[in-house]
Amino acid sequence: MNQRMRRLHRSMGAAIALFVLLLSITGILLNHSSDLKLDKYYLTWPWLLDHYGVSNVEADAVYLLDQTVISQIGTEIFANAKPVTHTQRPLLGGVALDEVIVLATDDALILLNSDGEFIERMGAAAGVPPMIQNIGLFHGAPVIQTRQGMWRSDFMLDKWEAISLQGIGWSVPSPMPESIQNDLIKYFHGEGVTVENVLLDVHNGRILGSIGVWLLDLLGVLLTVLSLTGIWMWLRRIR
Amino acid sequence: MNITNNVFWQMMLIGFLLCSFAVPAFSGSVNQTNEDFVAETFANDIPKSKVVWIRNDLRPAIADILGHEYAGLRIRYWQQAQRTAWILEEIGKESPITFGIIIKDGKVEQVKVLAYRESRGGEIQQRAFTRQFTDAQLKEQKLDRHIDGISGATLSVRAMTSVVTLALYLTEFINQ
Repeated sequence: MNQRMRRLHRSMGAAIALFVLLLSITGILLNHSSDLKLDKYYLTWPWLLDHYGVSNVEADAVYLLDQTVISQIGTEIFANAKPVTHTQRPLLGGVALDEVIVLATDDALILLNSDGEFIERMGAAAGVPPMIQNIGLFHGAPVIQTRQGMWRSDFMLDKWEAISLQGIGWSVPSPMPESIQNDLIKYFHGEGVTVENVLLDVHNGRILGSIGVWLLDLLGVLLTVLSLTGIWMWLRRIR
Repeated sequence: MNITNNVFWQMMLIGFLLCSFAVPAFSGSVNQTNEDFVAETFANDIPKSKVVWIRNDLRPAIADILGHEYAGLRIRYWQQAQRTAWILEEIGKESPITFGIIIKDGKVEQVKVLAYRESRGGEIQQRAFTRQFTDAQLKEQKLDRHIDGISGATLSVRAMTSVVTLALYLTEFINQ
């Protein structure tokens, strides 16, 4: 009996030794996380960010206008990953005039300066034809296509004349440049995942999701059995 | 008995479906479009719009009124005789609220909530509430009167008070 108990104790000890080691090391590190500044160091390994679901930001629309990358994510509009304004409507396109970037939604034009700063939103009340479908340029002048037809204006954008033209350079979406994508990820998800967070999740098993929690429960049970068999063998030896 | 029961449950189902369609409309309602507000204000004789540029000398006063920097470089307005119409947006708690404000002879003639997108605090759209602003004037960059709050709509009330003060301030500025 004693022999069998010893074998059980030994094999259980070997099986959980690695986990105990992991728990001990992560526990000690977490105890001193402030001193070690573990909450200030960020991990940006792609597989880890993927695992935490913070590796990607999907833009609803992207336009490259005069070296400025304009994107829409939800209701927010970004100029080179800097939030500039919000709109409830989807972005349909944009053009770059001399010092002004003009973005179009179906009910308004959103004006930014060349630094990407928000100037103003101009809707039908400001004389912009409603129900916009696209925006483009014709010899440097802004042109919009609406359900009622085509309209042309000048850089002031407050007077529009109905036209019918060929050869307009309509705004087309662009792919998102990787550097801007990375900046947007930083904007939405911060610098990455802190070392402290990862250690904490390793320590409590949540790094593996709900399976990790169950594994840790199992480890707890094994440690309890290990303690009991240890005590039992010790008592036997004393007697 | 069965037929009565069936009719009852059908009516309940129709009522439920109608209510579920009505909920999203309430959560982001547009009471009046900006262009309709301007057209109504000037009885369809709409003056050409003008803009006031938010220059550096204007920025601190506006930030003081709003409690934060104004997110834009210019603000559009419509002016005819002594009446000026402003359409301003301000975030209540989470979403922007669009206000239409008419100033006449340096006093508030009317305040309207053109679009309300917050999920709570919609009471500020009521005429009984907006009436408090009628004839309000600017006194040391503040309204000359106390505006009664609404329980549960504190931020929306604050937003409305700020934009009305801003409209009065900007009107004073453009008329200098």
